[in-house]
Amino acid sequence: MSDTTLPTTSDNRLSITGVRRLLPETATIFEGAFSLLHCAVKGDQMYRGVFAVLMFPIRHPDRYISLRYTDEKDKVGEIGVIENLSAFPKETQTLIQAVLKKQYHEHIIHRVYGVRHEFGLLFFDVETQRGRQEFIMPWRHDRAEDFGAEGKVLLDVNDNRFIVPDVLALPTKDQRRFTNFIYW
Amino acid sequence: MTNNDLLLGRVPSELNTRPEVHNLGADACLFSVRSDLTIDGTVQDVWVVVTQTKIFTVPTHSQPTALITGPFLLKDAQKVQTRHTVGSGFLQLLIDGTYVDVARYSNARREIFGKVRAELERLIQGHPLNTEALVHPSEFACTKCGLPLPARRAVCPRCAGGRSVFFRSVGLMKPYQNSIVLLLCILVMGVGLDLLPPYLTRILVDKVLTPKENIHWLPLILLGLVGASLGRQFLNVIIGRTSSMIGTRVSKELRERLQTKLMSLSVDYYDRHSAGSLMSRVLWDVEYFQGFVWQVAQGFLLNVILVLGIGAVLFMMNWHLALLVLLPVPFVVIGTIFFWKYVYPQYYRLSDSQSKMSQLLTGLLQGIRLVKLFGQEKREEQRFSDSARYMQNARRSVEMSVATFNPIMGFVFGLGGLIIWYAGGHRVFEGHLTLGTLMAFFGYMGMFYGPISAMSVFSNWLTGFMSAGQRVFEVLDANVGITDEPEATPLNNINGAIELRNVTFGYDPYSPVLKNVSIKIEPGQFVGIVGKSGSGKTTLVNLICRFYDPQDGQVLIDNQDVRTLAQHDIHKHVALVLQEPFLFRATIMDNIAYGRPGASPLAVMDAAKAANAHDFIARAPSAYDTKLGERGAGLSGGERQRISIARALLCDPKILILDEATSSVDTESEQEIQKALVRLCKGRTTIAIAHRLSTLKNADVIYVIDEGKVAESGSHEQLLELKGVYHNLVRIQTELTRLES
Repeated sequence: MSDTTLPTTSDNRLSITGVRRLLPETATIFEGAFSLLHCAVKGDQMYRGVFAVLMFPIRHPDRYISLRYTDEKDKVGEIGVIENLSAFPKETQTLIQAVLKKQYHEHIIHRVYGVRHEFGLLFFDVETQRGRQEFIMPWRHDRAEDFGAEGKVLLDVNDNRFIVPDVLALPTKDQRRFTNFIYW
Repeated sequence: MTNNDLLLGRVPSELNTRPEVHNLGADACLFSVRSDLTIDGTVQDVWVVVTQTKIFTVPTHSQPTALITGPFLLKDAQKVQTRHTVGSGFLQLLIDGTYVDVARYSNARREIFGKVRAELERLIQGHPLNTEALVHPSEFACTKCGLPLPARRAVCPRCAGGRSVFFRSVGLMKPYQNSIVLLLCILVMGVGLDLLPPYLTRILVDKVLTPKENIHWLPLILLGLVGASLGRQFLNVIIGRTSSMIGTRVSKELRERLQTKLMSLSVDYYDRHSAGSLMSRVLWDVEYFQGFVWQVAQGFLLNVILVLGIGAVLFMMNWHLALLVLLPVPFVVIGTIFFWKYVYPQYYRLSDSQSKMSQLLTGLLQGIRLVKLFGQEKREEQRFSDSARYMQNARRSVEMSVATFNPIMGFVFGLGGLIIWYAGGHRVFEGHLTLGTLMAFFGYMGMFYGPISAMSVFSNWLTGFMSAGQRVFEVLDANVGITDEPEATPLNNINGAIELRNVTFGYDPYSPVLKNVSIKIEPGQFVGIVGKSGSGKTTLVNLICRFYDPQDGQVLIDNQDVRTLAQHDIHKHVALVLQEPFLFRATIMDNIAYGRPGASPLAVMDAAKAANAHDFIARAPSAYDTKLGERGAGLSGGERQRISIARALLCDPKILILDEATSSVDTESEQEIQKALVRLCKGRTTIAIAHRLSTLKNADVIYVIDEGKVAESGSHEQLLELKGVYHNLVRIQTELTRLES
């Protein structure tokens, strides 16, 4: 059990019982009524109201996309995983990108203009991809978690996500303002 | 969320003028709620309008004024749900078997849309709108000042007490006011004694040494210096002892108050706060209060008195020189601010690096077998090396800053001395100043700069104290959560009947775990609860024990709503045996008798015998006096479980709840535990949650919980005949058993 890389035969063995790979030749993805995404898999049923989830949102944000659905009993199931979206036709890629956009609502912080500490809360004044914003987060370790190697994801009081993809890439002053409080 | 985000009985005025909104029958509007996102995630205000018959959304500012979604007819919707995605959520209706997006909202609107979901569910089921539930004030923001709360239903840090942490801490010292007044008097006396030596030095130089006369004054002056020094040290002893006496008492009382408060807080509070964080508040944050008196008296008041007193003396002696003494003060102030802002946060990082290394080492040492088994020693070495480097950098950063800061400050103070040497020397030469006065000036100057420098240390301490105090008062001010009614009905003897009547509950109130669950258990019945992980089985038990209150419906014991009963009374009659039994670091006897501390040794042995624990206990050299390690270390899983059963048995509860009591032990131990449970269940209402369905064959009724609802109920045979969820579970388990054998 000491090998870090499993042999290929083992990979193949695992794939038999593992996740279903969705390929352009086996899966047809299209938009249906109410602008919902539908997915028809060869040899299987048609799934309606499909949504997508990234399996490695930090390490592989463009790959390994799990397509999922909710059944009438409110149970969420997985249809399969798209390993490489670029293998699909352009219009399918657009549809998948659109459902992924619905799955993730995050604010990417480019600048940190100010951080104020009061009442155990941090009051942030930042620039995100949506413009200048202010948010409040509790000053606690569990509200600022690692995001990749050098990034941080901050959860505000409402659990909205504010991401600094790379703290070291922030301008020096912003970095200091940020790490004065988010030092862990 | 503001009051303008929810409008009852009307659409917002800016939409009122739009003909297409009127055409949709918005005049019959029940309510409108504002969302902050469009379906594709664009940040924009969108109104969700709900009428008697339909729901649709309209953007606040759009050209042209098209609807974003809908209209959806409520009669076409089978169900409504809120689906939480990463950072946002969707309000969805189930139409023709597929969930359709109606509106999207950011997490800031999650609470209000949770309420909207509940109300739409009522409307779809044909019930009238519950306006009260819809307008219920937010649990995530202070109702007084609107400040977002650190957690749901947490105390508003701004409004808590109205006074600052500092003044609340001063309030804690009230019982010791006499000692504190004495302390202050001694401080003033101490300052008086501190001023004496430079004054005597001045007389010594000017009246004895320089004119070389009055030699008989010399021993008297020296005696005065010795007396001042002795007196100062004596006062220091009194100050130290008094501060310590007050500090230790205050911190002891505060720890006791915190512990009492922690015991009174509901389970819900512990879901939101980690045990480590609470431990740190009781153990380390309170430690700051220990030094409060000393720091305020010695670190602040004494220094203020010294600065004012010595400053006055310096100006009286020579105001020209005194002004020069003040020259370095602005630099000291700037330096202190710099230290505050840039150097002090580096200490946080150092402390974080130490804590991370400690976490890494703990994990590494606890999982050493796994590391060896997977041959990951090199990788762990690298991880440790990274952590050590982080600590090295953090420490280097602190020490380099301090190593630079302190000499600069030293130079600034030294510069003050040089200025006085220069200006004072000139004045002595010119005959405007005596040498003795200059010497005394130097003596006082050292005493003047010392407190200024110490004030910056006090400010550092104050930062730590304020944040520690904030954390301590946050616990003391926390909402207890589940409270007893003032006139709670006493519950002396019970039959053991339990009923859950239309119970809906979720740990997040807007994402229910149990949905309209109704269960009726007769006294003495043996009831099995089965279902997949996360289906809501343990939640059901949590409600019976009244660790939480349902958002909707009632939990009844002997036909009495548990909310009308005292929690202590409920817990007296209910015993819980958990999957992972918790044993304290105490003797086996103490652990078994935990719920009945006065139980006789014979009663404890009887309970252990009934739990099939007596024999293995007897084999230990110290038998019932065997001291157990952390969480029962030294015993096997099955043995720990049997001790926990003995503990439950000794309390003789009328209601017994077994939550996966045998799922983590081996087959042999399970048999032993099962035998014990057969004895334990006699004459009691027993609720058993189990994965191994074979253990529930003899249950009077089995409830199958699926997705928070009762999917099936009946005896083992009846459920098998149904050929539903239970039948499927039994089939899977039978196949698994066949494969294992």
